[in-house]
Amino acid sequence: MSDIVIEARNISKLYRLGTIGSGSLRKDLQKWVQKSILKKEDPYFKTINESDKVVNKEYLWALKNVDFEIKEGEACGIIGRNGAGKSTFLKILSRIVKPTTGTVKGKGKVSSLLEVGTGFHQELTGRENIFISGHMLGMTRSEIRARFDEIVQFSGVENFLDTPVKRYSSGMYVRLAFAVAAHLEPDILIVDEVLAVGDAEFQKKCLGKMKDASSKKGRTIIFVSHNLQAISNLCSNAIWLDKGQVISKGEAKTVVNHYLGAAQKKSWKQEFSIKEAPGNHLIKVLLFELVPQLSSPLSPVDIRTPLVVKFRFYNNTDDIILAVGLHLFTLADECIFDVSHTPGTFKQGIIEGECHIPGNFLNDGSYYFSLIFVKDSSEVLYYYEESLYFEVEDYRENINWYGKWMGYVRPQFPITLSQVDSHLNRKFLT
Amino acid sequence: MKQHSQWDWEIKANTTWAGVGFKEFYSYKDLLFSLVRKEFLSSYQQTLLGPFWVLLQPLLSVITYVLVFKKVMGFSTEGLPTFLYYLTGITLWNLFSELFLDTAYTFLNNSSIYSKVYFPRLISPFSTLLLNLIRFGIQLLLLFAVLIYFWQVGQVQLNPVRLLIIIPVIITISGIALGGGLIFSILSTKYKDLLGLLQLSLRLLMFVCPIFYSLAIVPKSIQWLINVNPLSSLFELFRYAFLGKGNISWIYFSYSIVFMFMILLSGILLFNKTSDRLVDVM
Repeated sequence: MSDIVIEARNISKLYRLGTIGSGSLRKDLQKWVQKSILKKEDPYFKTINESDKVVNKEYLWALKNVDFEIKEGEACGIIGRNGAGKSTFLKILSRIVKPTTGTVKGKGKVSSLLEVGTGFHQELTGRENIFISGHMLGMTRSEIRARFDEIVQFSGVENFLDTPVKRYSSGMYVRLAFAVAAHLEPDILIVDEVLAVGDAEFQKKCLGKMKDASSKKGRTIIFVSHNLQAISNLCSNAIWLDKGQVISKGEAKTVVNHYLGAAQKKSWKQEFSIKEAPGNHLIKVLLFELVPQLSSPLSPVDIRTPLVVKFRFYNNTDDIILAVGLHLFTLADECIFDVSHTPGTFKQGIIEGECHIPGNFLNDGSYYFSLIFVKDSSEVLYYYEESLYFEVEDYRENINWYGKWMGYVRPQFPITLSQVDSHLNRKFLT
Repeated sequence: MKQHSQWDWEIKANTTWAGVGFKEFYSYKDLLFSLVRKEFLSSYQQTLLGPFWVLLQPLLSVITYVLVFKKVMGFSTEGLPTFLYYLTGITLWNLFSELFLDTAYTFLNNSSIYSKVYFPRLISPFSTLLLNLIRFGIQLLLLFAVLIYFWQVGQVQLNPVRLLIIIPVIITISGIALGGGLIFSILSTKYKDLLGLLQLSLRLLMFVCPIFYSLAIVPKSIQWLINVNPLSSLFELFRYAFLGKGNISWIYFSYSIVFMFMILLSGILLFNKTSDRLVDVM
């Protein structure tokens, strides 16, 4: 059994919400008097411990009673939704913020990579920045000197070494910054979502470098990413955080599947009573639902899954020529499609509809639907915006490449290859 | 189990007054020097005169002050050349006020770095200290040059042994500026209004220091005000070292040294105790 290199016990982190500073001088003084002079408990801290279950608007537990161990040479992935406490977790491990309670003990030198280009100075040259950033990340002068050529080569900016980095293209900047970080040789490396930058080619190079560091050189890596494919391929173990707590930990693939299954079940179905239904005096949306055609109820929605969108609404106008349109957007608000149908005449009352989206159509990513109700093909009655959010997970079979697949759609149009020339009859051509 | 017995490091909820200790601090010395280099190089990028600004800045301010205090208000300079007299005071004052202000801005200027990477936070104010001492060193060369010129023309006397007094003076004034700056850097992270107040206070403090005048011309009734200022004796000593004239009092100098130790110690302790928590407030 390999040694435990990080052991965390009962880690919690409490954040105060709202503005800090204005109006807090009185509280600060009061707190100080209570704590230091009267030797009582912090009056503000106490209120939270006692009424834990009450939603306290002033405070937020970013992490709560987190325990874990990480063994030497292990690559551990941290997954969870936005705001689950992943970044706080890494910041505590990196000694950037102090936990509110608990202790972390560890062995060996830790370097953390929470940002690409930490310490870079825009005005200085690439050469200077390699040293500054290297020192910030914990390398000594002699270590940087020894690896300088390797760093430059990895980054591919040889010709621009003596140019201020503010004149670099963003790609060059990122490459140089990551090159420095990739040549760190700590015992424990902490990496935040830094791989989200750079082109696919470079991401691949970085992931490869990380994989090498963990499997060949026996380094311990703690890695946060939204790219679950990368986590399950790179990491042996994973920790799933939600609302500051550990939901599950263990073997990476198991945790990732568990996470995917649970993360998607929400917000797939929106059902309203007629009183609280969104809409206006013409249209009321009663139901908007996504029904993925999953092979098993626990498996996640991935790029292969066919989707059915169902909706039901109340139409308040008699004898109306009506059409409903379904819009699909990415989280970045780019429209993927706008489907509609031939308008038909409807009476006042409840109307139902559905739309089938085949599998192997959407690429992996986060999407949402909007519904639009149109009268006489021209007049918009109601636009039910940004309502049904869902995520499509990646799935790759027999493909040994973990970079982001490009495009918003990933249809399987057939590509056929046929040999028109073979080596044998080459001599006739030349 | 054996593997639990020896940990290299530990992260706890509470902070200590002592900080990381000298050994760990020393292991970051490469970072310290690289920060000094970075600041020095970056402040003169894309300027025509580059590092010459270090010299130009005191020269220009001395010219301004000569116009205001000597020509308009007619302050006495004890029979010494006005330019040299003012340059001596301004050089030391610049060290104090710039080191104080730069240190006070530690958290404000470094917040983006502090939230992304760990190193003992005390490294930054110490890099500020080194940087300001380097700048001061260059300005000191200018002062020596001006001094030698006036000595050549016979307006002042030079005494190399007397000049050694500047060493304890520089150490004391840097200590006060660093200590005060550290305390302000912590307070101002939470209450940013303090920085505006600090700039104003420093400007006022300049006039309570014997820079453009000597203690001798201050009316007896308000002399206590100058004496209570721990910087006063330092300016008098500094001027004495260069020009041979100054109201030197070993009692007030000891007072300045004791003050320096107190403020520097409390600054460093407070910084150690609170700096790791301030990331949440920045």
